[in-house]
Amino acid sequence: MLMGTSALMSLEVLAYPFVFLGLYFEVFLLLTFLSESARERRQRPAVTETPKIAIIVPCWNEEDTIDGTVKSLLALDYPKDKLQIILVNDGSTDNTKEVMDRYQGNPQITVIHKKNGGKHTAINAGIEVAKDAEFVGCLDADSFVAPDALKEIIGSFDSPKVAAATPAMSVFQPKNILEQMQNAEYIIGIAARHALSAVNGIYVTPGPFSFYRRSVIEELGGFRHAHQAEDMEMALRIQRAGYEIENAPRARVYTKVPRSVPKLIKQRTRWTTGFLRNVMTDYRDLVGNPRYGALGLMVLPLGFAAIVGGAFLFMVALFALFQGFFRTYALTSGVPLSYTLAPRLDPDLFYVPVTFILLASVVVGILSVALVLIGRSVSNTPAKVALGIVGYTFIYAFIAPFWLMRSMYDVLTGKRRAWR
Amino acid sequence: MPLATRNAILALAITVAIIGTIVAAINQLDRQRIAELDAIQTQLATDTLSIETQFALLEEAPCEDLSVGSELTQEVSSLGDRLGATEARLGSDNQEVIRLKKQYTLLQIRDYLLTKRLAETCDVEPVIALYFYSNEEGACESCDRASYALSYLRQTYPGLRVYSFDYNLDLGALKTLVAVERVEERFPAFVIEGTRSYGFEDLESFQERFPEELFELASTTATSSANTRR
Repeated sequence: MLMGTSALMSLEVLAYPFVFLGLYFEVFLLLTFLSESARERRQRPAVTETPKIAIIVPCWNEEDTIDGTVKSLLALDYPKDKLQIILVNDGSTDNTKEVMDRYQGNPQITVIHKKNGGKHTAINAGIEVAKDAEFVGCLDADSFVAPDALKEIIGSFDSPKVAAATPAMSVFQPKNILEQMQNAEYIIGIAARHALSAVNGIYVTPGPFSFYRRSVIEELGGFRHAHQAEDMEMALRIQRAGYEIENAPRARVYTKVPRSVPKLIKQRTRWTTGFLRNVMTDYRDLVGNPRYGALGLMVLPLGFAAIVGGAFLFMVALFALFQGFFRTYALTSGVPLSYTLAPRLDPDLFYVPVTFILLASVVVGILSVALVLIGRSVSNTPAKVALGIVGYTFIYAFIAPFWLMRSMYDVLTGKRRAWR
Repeated sequence: MPLATRNAILALAITVAIIGTIVAAINQLDRQRIAELDAIQTQLATDTLSIETQFALLEEAPCEDLSVGSELTQEVSSLGDRLGATEARLGSDNQEVIRLKKQYTLLQIRDYLLTKRLAETCDVEPVIALYFYSNEEGACESCDRASYALSYLRQTYPGLRVYSFDYNLDLGALKTLVAVERVEERFPAFVIEGTRSYGFEDLESFQERFPEELFELASTTATSSANTRR
């Protein structure tokens, strides 16, 4: 029987521009991955020369993980007289100080205790000490490095134009579905950063094991608070100064990630507000500026569109859900529930709702899986990604809108939140 | 040309090609669906014509095989469901949908007439309901609810035959049916066992418009089948 349905405006059409942009960016990444420039980067050998290095570990209440972090640094395959490890206790209130002090006698390690002033002040305190280092690296105290990671990453500084280099980050021993999901996401990040380095499009030098040419830091100034996104701000400052940011796809670093949804939302809110505040204020001139190439014309605008679009689409989906619920309630009111709720599993292919959004999402999903596999392959990351991909596909979309909307709310209202 | 520029242009071309392929695939699928509907309608038209011819040959209804008429009604109804899904996908103003709806409406009218003749000649008494709706914006607020209630009744009471018509469809036979049944332009409109009624409040009051034997027959069938099972 033909239903006398009144035409309802399809909300699906609102998702079209965002699906297009997402697909476009993935295709761009894959194309760039296949380019000669990216291939040369993948084939770049680890460094044979061993310049002086300082690695700063800023800590605030990291008593459980700092020991493992330091041990992984001491196990790095690098001449001991060329590698200085600087542990900076940023006014911890737990036993971090005691754990750090155990390393006081180690000639490779310098321990600094200071009043709490924020992560950027801890890094700056470490840079002050690392006077004779040619390159300065940072390692968050919840991260652990592979023994060959340092030689891999220093190899990225072959050109004097390169001011910073980023590693291949993945999740440390992911167990629950949330950690697995983040691992898949981080591994996509490995592929993305590797591809973007070929077009100098990297906009963040993450806390776990990013390195900087010390002379450039001296030229540009130390780290800033930068709306709790000091790593992003430094990367944008480097880009604005005309330097390049490289990537070492085989410099593996494993980091601990939030194990619960509220902690994940808090962390991502911090990252997202940091991005929005930096890009909308201090670094607004980079956005849409052809002088900054792929970074200015693609990465930053698309990053902004992804945040706004993600929150917007979630609101639209929520509206459609409520609208559908109320419409169904009105439609079925009075008819026995046994009829309304009876499962109608029609095997007829005629009724399969093959829509544009469905097919486009399948294509985006396939390309995302390709990026996960590429990320894992180029970094030789020993990770089982199947569960992570499932989680990333079916859970991420339901959690991400919360931090996107929270971030937009914070930015619009000027609300500031604590780091943890 | 810098790598970023070259890849940005190439990526745009590839993305447009992917989107184009998806759109083409969906269009092809829609065309296949319409072709499928076309084929079903042609088959049903042949079946209807076959029964009508049997009438003519025998000069009376072929009462020996009543199941043929019943199956035909079910197939027409199933075709209606498919056409409804296609209409929801492509929109009620799609030309192909309108063409198919016209053919389907003709099929329904012929099936309705056949059912009436079979009922008169073969001593069977299906309950027949004609339902007229309008897809025009604001013309019928309760048509969706009426459609849903009729779907429920049709599925719950197999003795009920429902024929639904888009009142505004530009089709001579439909206009004649509207004129013959003297259906006014008020929606939803029903002709249940020859009695006209308008509007839809709720299922309970709507059921009162149907003859009681429709529900009695169903409860008798249910009781006897329960007894048989016992």
